[in-house]
Amino acid sequence: MPIDITMPRLSDTMEAGTIIKWNVKEGDKVSAGDVIADVETDKATMEMAVYDDGVISRISVPEGQKVNVGTVIAVLDGEGAGASKSSGSAAASAEPAATKKAAAKAKEAAGEDERGESRGSVAVAERPAPPERTPPAKPGKAAAEEPEEAAGDVETNGRLRISPVARHMADEHGIDVRAIEGTGPGGRVIKRDVIAAIDAAKETSRAVAPSAKARPPASKQEVLATRVEKEPASTLPAKAAPREIPGPAAVSDGGLEAQMVPLSNMRQIIARRLVESKQTIPHYQVTVTFNMDPLLDLRSTLNRQLEDQGVKLSVNDFLVRACALAIHKHPYFNAAWAEDHIEILGEVNVGIAISLPEERGGGLVVGVVRNADAKGLRQISAESKHLAEKARTRGLNIQEMSDSTFTISNLGMFGVDNFTAIINPPNSAILAVGAALKKPVVRDDQLTIGHEMNATLSLDHRVIDGAMAAQYLQTLRQLIENPGTVLV
Amino acid sequence: MATREIEFRDALREAMSEEMRADPRVFLIGEEVAQYNGAYKVSKGMLEEFGPRRIIDTPISESGFAGMAIGAAMMGLRPIVEFMSWSFSLVAADPILNNAPKMLYMSGGQFGCPIVFRGNDGAGGQLGSTHSWCVEGLYSNVPGLKMAIPFDPYDAKGLLKAAIRGDDPVFFLESERLLSTKGEVPEEEYTVPFGKAKIRRSGGDCTLVSFGRPLYFCLEAAETLAKEGIECEVIDGRTIRPLDIDTIIKSVRKTNYCVVVDQSWSFGSPGSEIASQVHRYCFDDLDNYVGRVHSDDVPAPYAYNLEQEMLPNARKICECVRAVTYNA
Repeated sequence: MPIDITMPRLSDTMEAGTIIKWNVKEGDKVSAGDVIADVETDKATMEMAVYDDGVISRISVPEGQKVNVGTVIAVLDGEGAGASKSSGSAAASAEPAATKKAAAKAKEAAGEDERGESRGSVAVAERPAPPERTPPAKPGKAAAEEPEEAAGDVETNGRLRISPVARHMADEHGIDVRAIEGTGPGGRVIKRDVIAAIDAAKETSRAVAPSAKARPPASKQEVLATRVEKEPASTLPAKAAPREIPGPAAVSDGGLEAQMVPLSNMRQIIARRLVESKQTIPHYQVTVTFNMDPLLDLRSTLNRQLEDQGVKLSVNDFLVRACALAIHKHPYFNAAWAEDHIEILGEVNVGIAISLPEERGGGLVVGVVRNADAKGLRQISAESKHLAEKARTRGLNIQEMSDSTFTISNLGMFGVDNFTAIINPPNSAILAVGAALKKPVVRDDQLTIGHEMNATLSLDHRVIDGAMAAQYLQTLRQLIENPGTVLV
Repeated sequence: MATREIEFRDALREAMSEEMRADPRVFLIGEEVAQYNGAYKVSKGMLEEFGPRRIIDTPISESGFAGMAIGAAMMGLRPIVEFMSWSFSLVAADPILNNAPKMLYMSGGQFGCPIVFRGNDGAGGQLGSTHSWCVEGLYSNVPGLKMAIPFDPYDAKGLLKAAIRGDDPVFFLESERLLSTKGEVPEEEYTVPFGKAKIRRSGGDCTLVSFGRPLYFCLEAAETLAKEGIECEVIDGRTIRPLDIDTIIKSVRKTNYCVVVDQSWSFGSPGSEIASQVHRYCFDDLDNYVGRVHSDDVPAPYAYNLEQEMLPNARKICECVRAVTYNA
């Protein structure tokens, strides 16, 4: 029984994946659990294992090619399948294949359901309430009736209902169909809904980027074509030739070279998630300034004492722990908006925004320190370093990036004084941290020199109100300005 | 091009007479075609011009004269067989379906069957269920034949001339209700090729596809819908076999909506075939399912009001277009 190996859905947002590397070739014998390929998803590069024993009879997707989830990428001839020897063996191998198929289907259905949940109100609106559903038409009447009319009652299972031309138009215009409210039967997204969305998007872009038209009218298609030729498929870090970065000295008088840069998976996901965040979450910001002298003193003392053990704590390590501890007093900072309720999460997992180097295509990821409230500074420091280092070299896997409940974005190392961040959904808050800078400060009514650090919370007003934010920051101030409390 | 206005039935007669003058192999055979000038006066005066050897009256024996004509076609003549109504052709099903369309194939190319079967198709008006057949659903299912359903005198003449000249068996479906309709027909010689649809009305909001008489209802519905802001593009398919799906596809790709109006019953009909092909070739272009308006799934009633309601009509077409374009 040949078994189709398909591009798996390795994360809930994954729609397509790129085969980075095949570890097997046609004719290779494999056992269940063998890693047969490395797959780049929208988030990470992951190892893909095979679930059955057998021989890889065909590899249908070459390295570097991106295919949609569910596409057959290889075919495995299951054991005893080499030749159709006896009907007995065929039947024997047919059965597990069938159950596997059923399992895969169930999995798929579950995945769709999950997606439906995460879409919140849209999904709720699309799912007709079971008791209101009209009973199916009697078969005897079917011939004379208009069966099409009944289509409105069909269970959607959380799947998006959209007409083919609407899907097509949305794809062409880069419209996120899941954000569109369908006006067709049963909430089906139809042509006019997409046209409205396109018009709305045009309005928005006109309002946001009035200067966009000022760009030189270079022949876009030509530029894009040559560009794509040079950088096939995704910008694979391993194989791609090192990108030439023009020296800063050579400032020509002709302005920049106009060009179209193809979007990497990561750039697409950053764009999609942050637009979603900014458009759906009512953001507001609250800024405070911390006196950093006590913490910096403690940090240098500890680092001196721990030097032999190779431990070097950063200000950020203290912040991770302090934020996690403060959450214990303010559980709404560890919560997610779930449309009809607020979900306060059991684990405190602090995400750390990690920027990626130019050589890896730039962008950023959020590494997650799990249960940060239960970990000491030493462990937090070690984990943070590991995450940052791995993100910038090999890339993080899904586990290392998922389930954050609160995020910290720190631009202090660049000397940034103050900035605001966009909430990382489904979090309800993100802390944007600047540098601890030497400043003239007032201490005990005396003007003196001290270290101060600005931090700005961005908050989801659906979950957290201004006074709650102020109280959280008060707790955070207690911890940071009395750093001994962070230690124990 | 000089034209004059003539009736549909005159157009049919001109086509037959011109082809008979041009080709001595062509002859007309059927019930009452000669001495009575045709049950519907289509062959009026033809006996006088061509004589009884080429305008042949038959007994009421469709199976017999259809079979005889098929034999004549196999031997090199070019018969035109008139069925008073296509409803009566059902008794000749074996010769017209089992012999004529398969002859070239079964004889390994030795015998062709250049024959035209023509007559009235569809409800004539209160003729009851056995005399109101729309045979296109049944007969278009058979490979090897061609089928034309003319809409106006121009097409009636042009398509019939093309049918007589062609080398394949042609099922030529006229409508009793259209025989007295008038239209401009050129003085000059012309033919209308098979497999070339004609756009009867242009519009960008919904494609209507039909053949023959229901096209009048489509045009009427298009008038009404235009007042509501829905501009329909009305396509006259002209021939069901071969079907000009390209013209339909082109239109649907423009409008994103399609309604097929077919006077036969819906199950396994030209309408279902066209809808299926549109779904197949325009899948990414459709904003809704392809709507279909057919005769209701009942035998044709005798009562006038019930018959009108059973057939496709402008109201039903309007309702279907509104539903399909989400304007219901």
